[in-house]
Amino acid sequence: MIAELLNSLNGDIVMGLAQAAGAIALCAAVVLLCGRFAVHVERETAISVARGLVQMVFVGMVLAVLLHGNLLEGALILLAMTFAAAVTASRRARDIKGSLPLSFYAIAAGAGIVIAGMLATRALTSDIAVLVPVGSMIIANAMNACAQSIERFRADIIAYVGQIEAGLTLGADPAVTVAPYVQSAVYASLLPRLDMLKSLGLVWIPGVMAGMMVSGASPVYAGIYQFVIVAMILAASGIAGLIVTLLMRAHAFSAAAQLTLRPGEQHQPPLYRLAQSMPRAS
Amino acid sequence: MPWVRNSWPRLISLQPEGVARGCPLPTKMAQSTKKKNMSAVTITRSTGYIGDAASSEATWDRPAGLAHQAPALETECLSRSIAERILVSDISVQVQLGEVLAVVGPSGAGKSSFLRLLNRLDEPTGGTVRLNGQDYRELAPRELRRRVGMVMQAAYLFPGTVAANVAFGPAQCGERLAPEQIAILLQRVGLPGYQERDVSNLSGGEAQRVSIVRTLANAPEALLLDEPTSALDDISARGIEDLVLSIIHERRMTCVIVTHNTAQAHRIADRTMILEAGKLVTIGLTKEVLRDC
Repeated sequence: MIAELLNSLNGDIVMGLAQAAGAIALCAAVVLLCGRFAVHVERETAISVARGLVQMVFVGMVLAVLLHGNLLEGALILLAMTFAAAVTASRRARDIKGSLPLSFYAIAAGAGIVIAGMLATRALTSDIAVLVPVGSMIIANAMNACAQSIERFRADIIAYVGQIEAGLTLGADPAVTVAPYVQSAVYASLLPRLDMLKSLGLVWIPGVMAGMMVSGASPVYAGIYQFVIVAMILAASGIAGLIVTLLMRAHAFSAAAQLTLRPGEQHQPPLYRLAQSMPRAS
Repeated sequence: MPWVRNSWPRLISLQPEGVARGCPLPTKMAQSTKKKNMSAVTITRSTGYIGDAASSEATWDRPAGLAHQAPALETECLSRSIAERILVSDISVQVQLGEVLAVVGPSGAGKSSFLRLLNRLDEPTGGTVRLNGQDYRELAPRELRRRVGMVMQAAYLFPGTVAANVAFGPAQCGERLAPEQIAILLQRVGLPGYQERDVSNLSGGEAQRVSIVRTLANAPEALLLDEPTSALDDISARGIEDLVLSIIHERRMTCVIVTHNTAQAHRIADRTMILEAGKLVTIGLTKEVLRDC
């Protein structure tokens, strides 16, 4: 295991780090430019860049060690990625009770169904070197769809509290009162993926296709396979967006059909409540 | 037909002819309706409602088994607090059938919170509400809300036509309003021929009228009004006021209205309750409670 890790630390690493430094320098220049227009993202960008680099190096090391692992090991890695994705997506709705499990179920369902389907149809092999990168793309897109659905649904509910409660006072089922906002939330999460599919090959040639061609695969097959991947990303995103929205809809109402997701009455996480209850220096 | 819920034939009686059948009207409305060439029954507020009481009771279909004196709406130690903030504290009041109760008080007194509890839009943290003697927690929330209609401060109409808004409530329990029924309802609230109008083209007063008729289309037993005229100019507000008064007396509905306008309470309400910091300060006949206002 250690030998495999050491083997991966060759001269390419130095070149990769130099390239990373160049990319970071360019990002820093953009951040400085944004700062001149009063868009201050310095701290957030620094954290994101540092996290991204460390995480990718770590993943590379894990893959180097587990390159020849079995399907179970690959599944465990994807499960850990799904959990991390759920944590990230749920941050968009940290004031909603149970947002982490909601996000996890949605992303796991979306990515899980699609990856299982691809494995069953042999569109994806159980080789970790293939399974984890492709699986991570699907999980990441499911995460984005999940976060977009959460954000849109939450924003719509809060913006249209009056209409929703007017519907409730007329005896409507809660699901009926929020039906337009469910539709717009799912649609909002799918739109970027639909655009991605539309622009495939015209605007961008994704990395999988480029990698396959570099490694000698037929460009036509590489193109078709890339389409399969993007179509699966759309499917996973749709499932994740739909499930998280439906789960949030259920969480937005009490058993007595009262809208509980209202401005100023959102759930506050335990740590936030603790911080609020602590005495403050005057 | 269950006695507790008005049937569609009663809904149709919203048309002016219903007045001639002996449904009670207050003096002012009787005068205003006379001006509209409608027959009316003159009453005085001090003596309550007069007219053909027997026929009025008969149309209400009250079952023999139920106590005649049961308040139409009753709160029992009703309370609600969020975190450590008390919104409504231990309020017990009774509203009789056909009575209009005004809820007044300063901003933040808990008036709207109290009204929301009556419709169970919020859950009480203490006490309960009884509808014709029955604990409202025993009723399905959707049924309760059809029986206790609520009109909010803003109209909150759904995008689309006026007719679609009016038909929304009945559609939720599988009933379809015929175009003629919608036309009659709209005529009753002074919006004849508005069926196909888009709600985005309505004035504030028109929108509030649609909001009222949308609630009435469910044929509720009780009507809750949360400052329905506060966003309107004086003329529109008085128009809505007259409309509401005529309808609730015509149909002998129980009504609870939240208002910050004591003059409005004088004009509308039989009794008035004053809230302060979520607590009931006083309740009684409007002319006595608001004597100095």
